[in-house]
Amino acid sequence: MAAPSKQKTRWHIAVFLAPAVLVYTAVMIYPLFNTLRLSLYSEIDQERIWVGLQNFRTLFGDAIWSDQFWNALANNGWFFLIHMLVQNPIGIALAAILSSPRLRFSAFYRSAIFIPTILSFVIVGFAWKLILSPIWGIAPGMLDAIGLKFLYQPWLGKEEYALTTLSLVSVWQYVGIPMMLIYAALLSIPDEILEAGECDGITGMAAFWKIKLPLILPSIGIISVLTFVANFNAFDLIYAAQGALAGPDFSTDILGTFMYRTFFGFQLQLGDPHMGSAIASAMFGIILIGVCIYLFGIQRRLRNYQF
Amino acid sequence: MTALKLENVNKFFGSVHVLKDINLTVEEGEFVVFVGPSGCGKSTLLRVIAGLEDASSGTVTIGDDVVNTVPPAKRGIAMVFQSYALYPHLTVKDNMGLGLKQEGQPRAVVEERVSKASKMLDLEEYATRRPAELSGGQRQRVAIGRSIVRDPKLFLFDEPLSNLDAALRMNTRVEIAELHRTLSASMIYVTHDQIEAMTLADRIVVLRDGRVEQVGTPMELYNNPANRFVASFLGSPSMNFLERSVPGVPDGQTIGIRPEHLRLAQSGRISGRVTHVERLGGDTNLLVNTDQGETVTVRLFGQDPTEVGDVVRLEFAADDAFYFNEAQERIFEAAA
Ligand SMILES: Nc1ncnc2c1ncn2[C@@H]1O[C@H](COP(=O)(O)OP(=O)(O)OP(=O)(O)O)[C@@H](O)[C@H]1O
Ligand SMILES: [Mg+2]
Repeated sequence: MAAPSKQKTRWHIAVFLAPAVLVYTAVMIYPLFNTLRLSLYSEIDQERIWVGLQNFRTLFGDAIWSDQFWNALANNGWFFLIHMLVQNPIGIALAAILSSPRLRFSAFYRSAIFIPTILSFVIVGFAWKLILSPIWGIAPGMLDAIGLKFLYQPWLGKEEYALTTLSLVSVWQYVGIPMMLIYAALLSIPDEILEAGECDGITGMAAFWKIKLPLILPSIGIISVLTFVANFNAFDLIYAAQGALAGPDFSTDILGTFMYRTFFGFQLQLGDPHMGSAIASAMFGIILIGVCIYLFGIQRRLRNYQF
Repeated sequence: MTALKLENVNKFFGSVHVLKDINLTVEEGEFVVFVGPSGCGKSTLLRVIAGLEDASSGTVTIGDDVVNTVPPAKRGIAMVFQSYALYPHLTVKDNMGLGLKQEGQPRAVVEERVSKASKMLDLEEYATRRPAELSGGQRQRVAIGRSIVRDPKLFLFDEPLSNLDAALRMNTRVEIAELHRTLSASMIYVTHDQIEAMTLADRIVVLRDGRVEQVGTPMELYNNPANRFVASFLGSPSMNFLERSVPGVPDGQTIGIRPEHLRLAQSGRISGRVTHVERLGGDTNLLVNTDQGETVTVRLFGQDPTEVGDVVRLEFAADDAFYFNEAQERIFEAAA
């Protein structure tokens, strides 16, 4: 009796898995492997030929390419650092404030803070470009109104500020996501544990540091890795605000924009799908390494608590 | 000295009146049990005493101080929750010590009190485990340990045994009784289990719909219930209430007789047919359907040969009967 029923079950598994597997293969797995494959070819005299790791040798060895690559990688690192140091702590703080039962209008704040996340990057990039513009922008006027005009700089136009400014714009846009995830994690802490803390004299900030924070660490870990993946795949905001040249003078160039320019070409630069694929493969490798470090180095040490 | 004094305590949740004019005094060293049906306000009352909820009106006095505006940690109380509410990220030792550390007690004092409590509760070998690695009974003991180390004037327990299985519940009940003797601290204990109430309490407070129905020692409440609710709530199997089956009881009155006060007698006043027999070895419970159509439980000591379908007559001593009027209050000069 057992054997035939087992076989039937197998068919069910295959049938039910098939749609997801097919769709996932078509849109994710196939393109990924094709990109990796493409990076091993080159086009010479309009003919695609196998070159092995030559594209990677060019990318890391040729000064023109490698300078751009390391510049983009360093910029991307800074982009990520700002998200980790600004976006996530602010998201956690906002969630902690929102979860306070005494806060009124919390549903309103929650939605207001989350709305930028669902806005198109085109709108966000363009809107901030206008806000910060020295000519039409409202930022100089607003600073003037409170007597801080001297602080104003054309932030998007200066090499030393542009990347940080765009990182902060991105933080502004996406801070709702860590906020929501942490908010959900905070709500899942049973009231009785917090009340036990209250009886122990652990209230307010102490309750946050000693009880809530340790219990939401797993969520913070997930958020960190999501931030990492999103940041190293980022492209849209920079493209919308600064164009594919990621000005001024490549100071806002990150891996995504670098890859885009290389792959599709931009202005005088001709598109090279094979070098572009090599950059995309490098990005894939970087993200893979980062996620592995998280999964094997960090997540194992985080305990999940079921309440 | 009184450990706790509640005066005209009321609690509203919005427009819902949950606690109605509660007045209660708990003496030093007393073990007081709150019982009542689900939703009657036992937990709410306990939380008002703990300071986790504010009383809408009235005063709460613990020891010599009015504590209405004092936060829970400064009231000299410790609470044990039904769900244990241990800190999941801390070891057993740190769970017990966190409150003391927060108070700013020196490390040596924390160590000493935690190890004393661990010894008292047999938790020493689990000191470095986390709550997830403990059984339900061990978790419960950690929760109790956490309350002991704070050396409170008043312990508050909210249904601490309801998540344990029957055997463990009995053991833990005995442990709590022993704890009460060793610490000689005042304790308030919420339960809806009348056996816990009867076995642990110095005094029982019966609550219904946010009101105190009766306060007294377990035997006072058992032998002298103030109304039909208290009479029916304590005792197992619960009291029989008969309106028609006993000749001579006036219209509108109800006679209440405990199952163990009924006996089989040839010339008994109640007659009926046995519909069910439960043989427990030490006791035999009969369910009897009277000729007037009411059901009576009879508890006979020892083993009895009565079978289902037998026609029986039942008798009781006049002293053992309680009379209740239409408002379900006890009346003392019965017409019979
Ligand atoms: N935060 C609240 N808001 C509104 N109503 C509440 C709140 N907490 C409790 N109540 C109501 O107060 C009443 C008493 O609740 P309480 O928890 O004290 O009951 P209980 O006697 O402990 O019951 P149980 O034996 O089921 O634990 C219930 O009717 C409940 O619905
Ligand atoms: Mg309750």
